[in-house]
Amino acid sequence: MLAGLDRIDRLLGTILTPVVFFGMAALTAVITLQIVSRVFFTSVSWTEEVARFLLIWITFLGAALAWQQGRHLAVALLRASLPRAPRRAVTGLAILVSLCFMVTLVVIGIRYMNVQSFQKSPSLRLSMSYVYAVMPIAAGLMAALSVIDLIRLIAGRDPRGPSGDA
Amino acid sequence: MSLVLAGLFILFLLMGIPIAVVIGAATMGALNLSGVPLMVVPQQMFSGINSFALVAVPMFILAGDVMAQGEISRRLVAFADSMFGFIKGGLSIVSVLAGMFFAAISGSGAATTAAVGASLVPELKRKGYDPAAAAALIAASGTIGVVIPPSVPMIIYAVIAQESVAKLFLNGVIPGVAMGIGLILVALIQGHRRAYPRGTAWSPGTIGRTFLSALWGLMAPLIILGGIFSGIFTPSEAAVVAVNYAILVSLFVYRDLTLAQLYRIVVRAGVTTAVIMFVISASSVLSWALSSWQVPNAIAGYALGLTRNFYMLLLVIMLIILISGVFLETASALVILTPMLLPLALQLGLGTVHFGIIIVVGLAIGMVTPPVAINLFVASTTANLPIEKITRAVLPYMGILIVVYLVIGFGPLLFHNWQ
Repeated sequence: MLAGLDRIDRLLGTILTPVVFFGMAALTAVITLQIVSRVFFTSVSWTEEVARFLLIWITFLGAALAWQQGRHLAVALLRASLPRAPRRAVTGLAILVSLCFMVTLVVIGIRYMNVQSFQKSPSLRLSMSYVYAVMPIAAGLMAALSVIDLIRLIAGRDPRGPSGDA
Repeated sequence: MSLVLAGLFILFLLMGIPIAVVIGAATMGALNLSGVPLMVVPQQMFSGINSFALVAVPMFILAGDVMAQGEISRRLVAFADSMFGFIKGGLSIVSVLAGMFFAAISGSGAATTAAVGASLVPELKRKGYDPAAAAALIAASGTIGVVIPPSVPMIIYAVIAQESVAKLFLNGVIPGVAMGIGLILVALIQGHRRAYPRGTAWSPGTIGRTFLSALWGLMAPLIILGGIFSGIFTPSEAAVVAVNYAILVSLFVYRDLTLAQLYRIVVRAGVTTAVIMFVISASSVLSWALSSWQVPNAIAGYALGLTRNFYMLLLVIMLIILISGVFLETASALVILTPMLLPLALQLGLGTVHFGIIIVVGLAIGMVTPPVAINLFVASTTANLPIEKITRAVLPYMGILIVVYLVIGFGPLLFHNWQ
């Protein structure tokens, strides 16, 4: 069971890594195109919009990858100074709070996506559903990772934590 | 309702929950209790990051990360050494200057510390400098990374305060240089007391040679800052130019970057970006809630009710910023403090730009104050020293930075017609 969870955990990281890379590379390329086209030809109208949407996708999917890597910032000092038993209890509660938050984001994220589904982006005429879909997707991934953490904690293992408090 | 929010916020924070979730969950809880439909949450979370100005954040992080590794920073250090190494304890001056210079390329304190540390720590150790003091000085110089433009915190502040990024950048130059001069003064006194050795002898030939070899790196700030200040590029575009420039120079001129390394650096910069942007996204809901409950105005009214002594109030604001920087990481402190304190600052007669510089410099000092001190962590990893040792050695530098901070806060008021 735990080994299976570890595999799912790593698989999520393996899938998200190239996605984040592609987002960053596309962002660089799109703005490079914007500069080149403005300086040498006529400016392209859609580059700013694409850049903003890419930034939104990088933010949410990168947040999921950061979650998998335990890289989110937290003030871990107080919790770390507790003795083992209360520390595990607080850690469990902390994971539950995150889980509730993420599940709520999935629910309201989907609702928001549906409400906005008739909205089209100004210059590309892209349905805004595609942009807003990233919130329920990423929140769902982070919720899944939180469940994995919770099971690991109950099984007696130390969860991935925000590694530093930097 | 704001008390519920504050209570949940502190409770969640102390539980060690990721800060983005702390901000998001506490606000969501309070909004739900007060009967506000939660649809405002996704709406604000998207609109808070749907900004072209914020595109500069990932790009400056990436450009800094690419240039921090390897040749570019090493050659810059060699150039600074050829000019100032001949002074007693000159290598300390070199650390600060390299930090200031790298600050003009990179927008983050951690990248600046890493870049200077990687090339200078071994050198400083070999020449017999106290390793802890050397690492501490490099960490302190790293704070200049977010004050001399480009600067990621300034971009974030500009977006929240609806001010021009370029204006903040322009006003960051003098404070950044002042911080550098302060650190150099302390380092010179220490170098004299501890009888540190002299470095490379002063010779025009060496200076010319190292200048030429560092030329590619030296051109980077010219392109980035020159492009922004002349109005050729927007800051976001300049950041992308910096990325392309750094990658091309590292791949084809210095050839010290493999494609596999580049892939890892890009992914890491993407994750660093997402961590910061997720906090910004969640905090947009917080600032929406605060302003709909009129909390910022209440804070301003309360503070002005206590005292009409503006100098006192400015001092208190600066203290709040410093203390927040001790416990919170820069971006989180920035997105929480800006909406709460900006209305008060404006009523005091501070400009949006001046307040932005105050908040960025104050939080930059927080990068060397434990427990949350990113620069000390980076320096301790680079120098392979326990963080406690570096913390003790950083105190004199922290002291001078606080003095400079006070000058930056109160100094410009001498020129204002301020009451």
